[in-house]
Amino acid sequence: MVLKIHGHANAPLVRLVAEVCREKEVPYELVNVEVYKGEHKTPAFKEFQPFGQVPYIDDDGFILYESRAICRYIAKKYASQGTPDLVPREPKAEAIFEQAVSIETSNFYPFALGITAEKIVKKHRGLELNEARLSDLVSNLKAKLDVYEVILGKQAYLAGGSITLADLFHLPYGTIVFEELGYDMLEDRPNVARWWKDITARPSWLAVKANA
Amino acid sequence: MVKLYGFSSSTCTRLVALVCKEKNIPYELIQVNLAKGEHKRPAFTANQPFGQVPYIDDEGFILYESRAIARYLIKKHPNEGTPLIPSDPKAEALFEQAASIEAFNFTAFVAPIVAEKVFNPRRGLQPNEERVKELLASLQPKLDAYDLILSKQKYLAGDFVTLADLAHLPYGTAFYGAGFAEMFESRPHLARWWKDISNRPAWLAVKDGA
Repeated sequence: MVLKIHGHANAPLVRLVAEVCREKEVPYELVNVEVYKGEHKTPAFKEFQPFGQVPYIDDDGFILYESRAICRYIAKKYASQGTPDLVPREPKAEAIFEQAVSIETSNFYPFALGITAEKIVKKHRGLELNEARLSDLVSNLKAKLDVYEVILGKQAYLAGGSITLADLFHLPYGTIVFEELGYDMLEDRPNVARWWKDITARPSWLAVKANA
Repeated sequence: MVKLYGFSSSTCTRLVALVCKEKNIPYELIQVNLAKGEHKRPAFTANQPFGQVPYIDDEGFILYESRAIARYLIKKHPNEGTPLIPSDPKAEALFEQAASIEAFNFTAFVAPIVAEKVFNPRRGLQPNEERVKELLASLQPKLDAYDLILSKQKYLAGDFVTLADLAHLPYGTAFYGAGFAEMFESRPHLARWWKDISNRPAWLAVKDGA
């Protein structure tokens, strides 16, 4: 049975899972969830994803949610095909990978997500933007990217010399902040700019952007 | 011996200490003086470029981000103490799901609430009550989901305790003690799980200081 991704084609974290499936040459079927009609908040949906969020996958009856967990599962299950070593296995390389994943979790995502919430989500819901909060989020993200600039001055990718899931995890919300919302945080940070240009040029990401 | 650079009451430092206790790993806590800005100085940022605690030095191997440190130590000592990360592929995937739940559906809300209500007053700052209210409103349905999950299984990843459960303890304990105990206690399955994990001997050993 082909892997089913339950979600909505424009949802950032659905796109992340689709990207990783493409990296690993894993065919998938996107099963649409009517998020604009609140389908993800129904009891029937919450049987599968109790937080009422997308995506979740159905891999031949095995249900899994949380996009980063799904990406790890796909990368490990299909370790021997497609882009190699998206999750490194040698103990120290794996530790540095986990450090990089945690950097994205704590030092990138909360700010990128918060900016997206203020500028896009609130607008959709007719809520007022909190300028002070937005300003804080933007300056915090810039401060974190100053550190990325140092790290990426020493190595090509966040976990070392090769691309891993830690880099790919930045794609959906990085695209929203830097491209869709047009925040220019890369011009003054040439190493980050180089890394961003590299990971956003990956065919798997371009394919998902065109059509998840 | 693992050198743990942090400070005794730091939430993230105590997570690493907790894992060391669970796995019987000896460690030496090396106090970093935040009040004097030690964590922002070059000697520190050479090892932890974000200027945050903790980081470890394991016989010359430097690692930061407490969840990464925890995972590294657990995987380095698979046969000692409590197994905390499963190796069976599906069980591992469900562990990763639970670990992600902790980061994005719990700590993402609980940590800023604790920062406002516990850390700010310590620094002579006023809590932003409006922000706390918003965060609590987001957290409530998340805790309902926890209660649902924990009505069907003992721990977040299944029937055995994992790192995913333990990762809730530092911020969760501060939250519980800051006047929000009712949010756990009013949800029977969540309360049952919380009582279980918060009474683990390893947590009790580091709860009041790494």
